[in-house]
Amino acid sequence: MTAHAGVFAVSCSREHSTGTKTLQAERQLNQFLAEVERRALRMAEIAVRDRDDALDLVQEAMIKLARNYATRPSTEWAPLFFRILQNGIRDWHRRQKVRNRVMVWFGRAKTGDDDYDITANAPDPAGRTPDEQLQTSEAMQQLELAVQNLPNRQREAFMLRTFQGLDVAATATAMGCSDGSVKTHYSRAIHSLRDALGEHWQ
Amino acid sequence: MNEPMDTKQKDNDQIVEKAKALFDDSVDSLDAATLSRLNQGRHRALAELQRASSASPWLRWVPATGIAAAALLAVMVMRGPDGVDAIEGPVTASDFEMLLEEDSLDMLEELEFYYWLEASDLEVNGNVG
Repeated sequence: MTAHAGVFAVSCSREHSTGTKTLQAERQLNQFLAEVERRALRMAEIAVRDRDDALDLVQEAMIKLARNYATRPSTEWAPLFFRILQNGIRDWHRRQKVRNRVMVWFGRAKTGDDDYDITANAPDPAGRTPDEQLQTSEAMQQLELAVQNLPNRQREAFMLRTFQGLDVAATATAMGCSDGSVKTHYSRAIHSLRDALGEHWQ
Repeated sequence: MNEPMDTKQKDNDQIVEKAKALFDDSVDSLDAATLSRLNQGRHRALAELQRASSASPWLRWVPATGIAAAALLAVMVMRGPDGVDAIEGPVTASDFEMLLEEDSLDMLEELEFYYWLEASDLEVNGNVG
């Protein structure tokens, strides 16, 4: 009887320990996702030009991270999360290409510009005059268009480095390429943006 | 001599700073409905984590079983059919050590991810690193 009670106590203790660990991991992951989700959404939205699709992509990335990488050290989560998100965005672009080809076949091709009004989707900042608001909105609109027109890898490097603030090594992990490639893509992206936005934008 | 280069670098820095400020502003200005949907998405992800941790204990042995199967397959390949050695030399402890080292475990864990990456890179022409 005493032996049974001992086994039960050990079992309960193990369950309790596992439960505490899970709770701790859940809290950490929740904190991490809450920190990155809004930036991730805006980055995805700039890349796919559709907020609903961007929300789906971010949610998918969060689920994949939780399912596959929650046990990894939390320092690895950011590059892994953005790697999953970037892959999701690439898949999205591939699906769009296929869909457009099918639509061309049926004579209903989408140009990619319809149904997306950047001004309508632009943020509504509080506490500024309408003029300031308009200026910010126009500048963001120009920036979004310029970033959207970058080649995929340049866009990824620019957004991960500038918008998310990842360092070169983390960006390389997120993009699945070398540090050198990140530097090249990023440098080219800045050069292209400077040409596209012009001196007046600065 | 270095002035044009410095000016260029300064311009680049300004572009980056302004882009970052505008982006931050747009992030801070996301509407409540969008934030609510993000919140829901996050909780779905956390539910997935709970589901994974409450999965049957035997599921935790799946990776180990996979490695054991991989090791067995390696032995079978090395032994060849009818017990004849396909690869010269005996199977040593270091061979198993190599199979079971941490990098191999990581690779197995990320196999799906690597497959996805590879498939993506192959399909997107000229988009690799």
